[in-house]
Amino acid sequence: MTARLDDLRAEVSGWLSAHVPRDWRAAATHEDFVAGQRAWFAQMVAAGYAIPHWPAQWPGGGRSLAEQKVIYEELARADAPRLLLSFVSTYHAFATLHECGTAEQQARHLPRILEGETWCQGFSEPNAGSDLAAIRTRADRQGEVYVVNGQKVWSTMAQHADRCLLLARTSSDGAKQAGMTYLLMDMKAPGVTVRPIHQIQGDEEFAEIFLDNVEIPVCERVGEEGAGWAVAQATLASERGLTLMELAYRMRGNMGRLVATIRAAGCAEDAGVQRELGELATQVDATCALADRFLEMRMAGAEQAGDASIVKNAYSRALRAWTDLGVRVGGIDAQYRAAITFGDLNTGNWMADFMNSYAWTIAGGSEEVQRTIIAERLLGMPREPKGWVL
Amino acid sequence: MTIELEELLDAAHKAFPPDKPVPRDESWARVVTLGWLMLDLPEDRGGLGLPPAAVATILFAQGRVLATAPLIPALLGLQAIAASPALVDRDGWIARICGGEYVPLHLLPSAVTARADGALDGRIAGVFEADMTSHILAGMAGRYALIPLDAAGVEVVERPLWDESRRLFDVVLTGYAIDPALVVAEGAAASALHETISPAAQLALAADSLGGASALLEMTVKYLKVRSQFARPLALFQALKHRCADLKVALSAAEALLWSRADSATTPLEMGAMKALATTTAKAIAEEAIQLHGGIGLTDEHPCHRYMKRAFLNAALCGDADHWNGANGRHLLDPPG
Repeated sequence: MTARLDDLRAEVSGWLSAHVPRDWRAAATHEDFVAGQRAWFAQMVAAGYAIPHWPAQWPGGGRSLAEQKVIYEELARADAPRLLLSFVSTYHAFATLHECGTAEQQARHLPRILEGETWCQGFSEPNAGSDLAAIRTRADRQGEVYVVNGQKVWSTMAQHADRCLLLARTSSDGAKQAGMTYLLMDMKAPGVTVRPIHQIQGDEEFAEIFLDNVEIPVCERVGEEGAGWAVAQATLASERGLTLMELAYRMRGNMGRLVATIRAAGCAEDAGVQRELGELATQVDATCALADRFLEMRMAGAEQAGDASIVKNAYSRALRAWTDLGVRVGGIDAQYRAAITFGDLNTGNWMADFMNSYAWTIAGGSEEVQRTIIAERLLGMPREPKGWVL
Repeated sequence: MTIELEELLDAAHKAFPPDKPVPRDESWARVVTLGWLMLDLPEDRGGLGLPPAAVATILFAQGRVLATAPLIPALLGLQAIAASPALVDRDGWIARICGGEYVPLHLLPSAVTARADGALDGRIAGVFEADMTSHILAGMAGRYALIPLDAAGVEVVERPLWDESRRLFDVVLTGYAIDPALVVAEGAAASALHETISPAAQLALAADSLGGASALLEMTVKYLKVRSQFARPLALFQALKHRCADLKVALSAAEALLWSRADSATTPLEMGAMKALATTTAKAIAEEAIQLHGGIGLTDEHPCHRYMKRAFLNAALCGDADHWNGANGRHLLDPPG
């Protein structure tokens, strides 16, 4: 077993050393970055490393979680571009179709994902952020189509997506979680308007999606009408803890950027800075160890509900601390605006990194939502009473 | 966890149940009977030869119950003696220690100077439970040696502690002449011995600290669930839930690093940096635990303060967090080579 993993590690590491595009950080615009992402995904698919979590009938699929971990460790070690543009398609769309889609839906969509078709997720809405069950986007059945009206927001790279995992409301009766239906939407369909969100650091990783009488064929419904909430759980559970492990490893691998900033600022002899750097490095090491441990528990089938929230909050706090120290030591130099690097959280462009770190304390279930999950599911503290009266 | 280790841990929980404090001498007798002194002693020295993680597991369990037996200084003393290249009758010492003779290593720095004739003056700090022993193992003036506490020029002075789960002493030397038959290591061998023992000391203190912290966090959450104010359990207040969640995150990360380094770390710095995080985390949990308990947490009858005092003392032993974090930072800024 260990020998097989060692072989895989050597194979992946060898391939990466020959194929990682050396200049991937040089993308000057978001469009250049996206073009680079498409090319890198195609290379990774061809090499058999893009979809290790898919079943074995797919080329490069059928890998155990231990093998997947090896691949992501090597991607981090090689400082390869992260597969960001294809993340929703290879994880969320795949898991949704695999768990809940029909054979016909799988045959229609999965091969195209490998050909480079990209997906976005249409879950959050202006009034349904942490409280996802509060979505209002309507889908009304009219014959063989659903007619959809509403607005989605915080959809990662929706402006580049071909298709969307859409959660919409088909009924307003009963509990909030009831009456939701899960649809697969063509982003080129009439009535779909996408507007990128300009973020505080100058990137456009997210977009708003406006839906105006968009028609979606009934054959693109996943699960029964009204069963969307359950299908959405399959989407949200698709990420297997590998991303946080990979990101934690990348943060550790980039500790040199912080060291370089401290040296450049002339405070390498400052005892206070030395202590903070030492403490932070240990915090980052602990985050890596935690992400490893979480994956090992998953492999052993010993994962508990709420464990993933612990890893996410540990990572996002370490990332904030990492960027915060960089900004502080960077001093005025960190305040001069510099061109951002796309697709990288640990660039050494400290204000940009600091602002980017909010992606991890807010997106994907905010830090506060995770705290509630940890308190209720892991510590067994009572749930909030439903409803409130002023 | 291996079956062997699970059995050990099971025995630990039976011998030291929570909520039933065992007096020190009885604790020590149980520790000896359970064979815990032999856990990581190499097999060719008559021990079980278990890895550092096994020792850490037992010390984590001992930390949970605020154990009063001085297992950490005893294990470190034994480890030093077992690794000694020079000690006369080394195997005799090992046998006596495994049979229950307590020979502790001190866990705070010594300040000792040698006179022209080699006689020593100064203070060896951080000797736990010195009233239980006839000999201690001390690192001083470039060597490790056993010191008989009844020898001429040796005085034992108790240093009362806030932490009532342990007793601490200074050993004061006034013109004490080392017995050559009691030297454990000198010169380069003494430095090598330090490199061996220091990681074990850091790991031991980290395990004890995080064991205590995990018990204390559980106790705190349990209290918040039963204590009711404003007609609802305190555990329903989000402000308190979120603080407990943050403590759980911090504890989980520190524990993950503890077990990871227990398996892999070898240098004093790697273990020291881990110990800094472990003790900082344990202190933070202790600090919050008292606050979250409210008034009852300030009473002597409630065990909160015992965990807090033990956590704070552990943080001050064998190099504090500032020391190790600074050393770690300097290492990153100026790596050797």
